[in-house]
Amino acid sequence: MAQLTKMNERRKVTEQEKKKKCAELVSKSKEVIRETFRNFNPIDTAITWTGGKDSTTNLWIIRQVCTEDNIDLPKVMTIDEGDAFPEITDFLIKTSKKWNIDLQWLCNFDVLKSAMSHLGNTVKVKDLNKRNQAELERIGSKEDSFTFEAESQQGNHLMKTVMFNQFVEENNIKAMFMALRRDEQAARKSDEYFTKKESGYLMPEHTRVSAILHFTERDIWNTTKLYNIPYCSLYEIGYRSLGARTTSNPGEVGVPAWEQDIENVPERAGRRQDKEKAMERMRQLGYM
Amino acid sequence: MKNVILLTIDALRKDALGCYGNKDGLTPFIDSLQGECIRFTRGQATGPYTQASFPGILTSSYYLEYGKPKGLSPQRTLISEPLKRAGIATAAFHSNPYLCDFLGWNRGWDFFYDSMDDDVSPQMPYIKGNVINAKVTEWLSSYSAAGDSKPFFLWLHYMDIHEPYTPEKKYVDMVDSSITISQDEMYSMFQNTLLKRDVSNPEKVTLLKKLYDIHVREVDTYVQNFFNTLEKLGILKDSVVIITNDHGDEFNEHGGLSHDDKMYSELIDMPLIIYGRDKNGTCDTLVSNIDIAPTIVYLFDLDPVEKFEGLSLFPLDAYPEKGCFGEAIDQKAQRGGDIEKDSYFYREKDLKIICHACTDKWELYDLKQDPNEVNNIIDTSPDTERLRGKLKPRIRRWLS
Repeated sequence: MAQLTKMNERRKVTEQEKKKKCAELVSKSKEVIRETFRNFNPIDTAITWTGGKDSTTNLWIIRQVCTEDNIDLPKVMTIDEGDAFPEITDFLIKTSKKWNIDLQWLCNFDVLKSAMSHLGNTVKVKDLNKRNQAELERIGSKEDSFTFEAESQQGNHLMKTVMFNQFVEENNIKAMFMALRRDEQAARKSDEYFTKKESGYLMPEHTRVSAILHFTERDIWNTTKLYNIPYCSLYEIGYRSLGARTTSNPGEVGVPAWEQDIENVPERAGRRQDKEKAMERMRQLGYM
Repeated sequence: MKNVILLTIDALRKDALGCYGNKDGLTPFIDSLQGECIRFTRGQATGPYTQASFPGILTSSYYLEYGKPKGLSPQRTLISEPLKRAGIATAAFHSNPYLCDFLGWNRGWDFFYDSMDDDVSPQMPYIKGNVINAKVTEWLSSYSAAGDSKPFFLWLHYMDIHEPYTPEKKYVDMVDSSITISQDEMYSMFQNTLLKRDVSNPEKVTLLKKLYDIHVREVDTYVQNFFNTLEKLGILKDSVVIITNDHGDEFNEHGGLSHDDKMYSELIDMPLIIYGRDKNGTCDTLVSNIDIAPTIVYLFDLDPVEKFEGLSLFPLDAYPEKGCFGEAIDQKAQRGGDIEKDSYFYREKDLKIICHACTDKWELYDLKQDPNEVNNIIDTSPDTERLRGKLKPRIRRWLS
C-alpha cells in the first residue's frame, strides 16, 4: 500500500515536472515572439500555418502573446499545394473559425489550371504565366513539361516556394513566423531563432522567425496535450509528419503519434520530400 | 591522444596539386605543408565517383560489396559508429547529396550537417567551402569552450571543385586574369558542353580545365583558412589531419568529361596527405582509400573494426605491399535499375587491369611505361592471366 502511494507520488512529481517544462518552453517562445514585435511592426509580420502540429502550436503561442500584449494577430497564411489531405483542410477551417482567424489561402492556380487540378497530369511550361516560367528558369529546370506532383522539383517550387515569396513580396512582409524545430534534423542543431534571408532574383528579403525551435517532437505533444491545443485527426491514426497527401505515410498505423517510439524512429520517415531534395541537388550537379 | 580530422575534396585530381608535380601553382598552401606531413604517392580510390568511392573512405568497404547499392547498406559500418561508441566526439560537415542523411550517411555522428535544408542556386548547387568552414569553426569553438577532454573526429568535405565550374572573379584573377567570361557563360558551357560530354572542340575542353583549375586554387584558400582556424583555436598541434579526394575528373584524356564509370588515373589516382605525425616524408607503397578508416581507428588507439576491409597505414613499416581494387556502374544504366554495366579494376605495382563485365572487354596498362593508359597490352603481357585471375572473383560476386 505504502509502495503504491509512493509510486503515485512519483508519478505526480513527473507530471508536475512535465508541466513546468512545457511552461518554460512556451515562455522561451514568447520571448522570441516579443523580440520580433520589438524589432518589426506586427503589421509587417505574418504567420505560416500548415495545419500540422508544429505550426499549430506556434500559432497558439503567438496568439497568446498578442492577447496578453494587446496586439492584433499578424496575417496568417497557408499554402494549398494542390494535394492536401481533406482532414487538414477541415482542421484549418474549423480551427480558424474557433480562433477567429482570417486565414489567407494561397494557391498557384496557374499551375493547377495547366494540370487540370489532377495529380500526375503533365504541365506544359509554355502554358504557364511569365512569373512561373521565370521561376522554373531560375531553378535551372530546362524541360518543356513536367509531371504535376506537389513534391517533385518543379511542383514543389512553383506550388510552395513561389507562393511563399509572392506573399512576402505583395504584403511587404519583413518577418515570417515559421515552425521549424531543431530536433527535426541533425542539420538544424545550430539553427538560430532569427534567420535573415537576403533578397535575390524573385526573392524578397525577409527574416524568418522560428519561435518553437527549441521544442522537440515530444515537447510539442506534451504541450499540445497540456494546454488542449487542437490538432489534426490524422495524428490520431498514426501520422507523425504531414506533408502532401500522396507523399506522407503514417508511422505506426493506428497508433497515435504521441504514443509511438518518437525518440528512436525518425519523424519524417513517412515523407518523400527529403528524397526529392537530394535528387534535385544531384540533377543540379549534372547527374540526371 | 590527438584528434583526427578527415578533409576530403570532391573531384580533386591528384595531378592538380603542386606537391604531386603540377606546375601551375594552384595549391600553394597544401604544398607548403610538405615538410610537416607524410605524402602517399600511389594512392588509389575505390571508384571513379562519389557513390562508388565514399563507401571506401568512410566504411572501408567496396561499392558493390552488398549488391545493388541503394543508399548506405545497414550492413556497412560507418567510421563514426565505432568512434562514437568509444566516446569520441564525432562531427560531419558536407554538401554532397549522395552522402545525405536521407541515404543513411548520418549514422553515428554527434553532429551531422549535409546542407540539404539550405537554399542553393543552379550555378553553385552546394554550400561553399567558406560556409562549411564557418560551420566547422562554430562547432570547434563550442567544442573548445566546453573544455571536454575527449578527443574528436571531424570530417569535412569541400564541393567547390565539382562541376558546374563557375568560379568567382577573385579566384579567376588569381589564376588567369585573361579569362573574362561571366559566370552565366561558364554555366552555359556546363550545360552545352560538359553535360553533353562534348569533347569535339579542344578549345572548349581547355577552357573547362582552366575553370576547374581556378576552383582548385579557390579550395586551397579554404584549406588554408581551415588550418588557420585550427591554429587559432589551439587545436592544430593536437590533431592529425588527413587530406584526400573522393575521385578526380576527366578532360578528354579518354574521350570524355566529368567523372563517369572509367577506371583511368585521372579519376582513380588519389592524393593522400597526412599532417601531424612525428615522422614525415613520402611513401611510395600502393595504398587504397579503404585504408583510411582503419588508419583513423588506429590513430585513436582502438581495436581494429572487423567489418573494415582495409588496413591501417600506420605503423608504416608494418603496412604490407598489396593490390588495390575498385568498381563502378555506368551511372545512366544504374538509374534505370540496371547493374549490368559494371566495371572493375585491380592494380598491382605499376600494372592495372580493367574489366567491363557487360561486354567482357579487358584492358591492361603498364603505368610506368604508359602513364596515360593509351596502350592496352592485355593480349601481349605475360601478366594478363595472373591479374585476370585476381579480378575475376570480384565480378558480380554478390550473385553467388
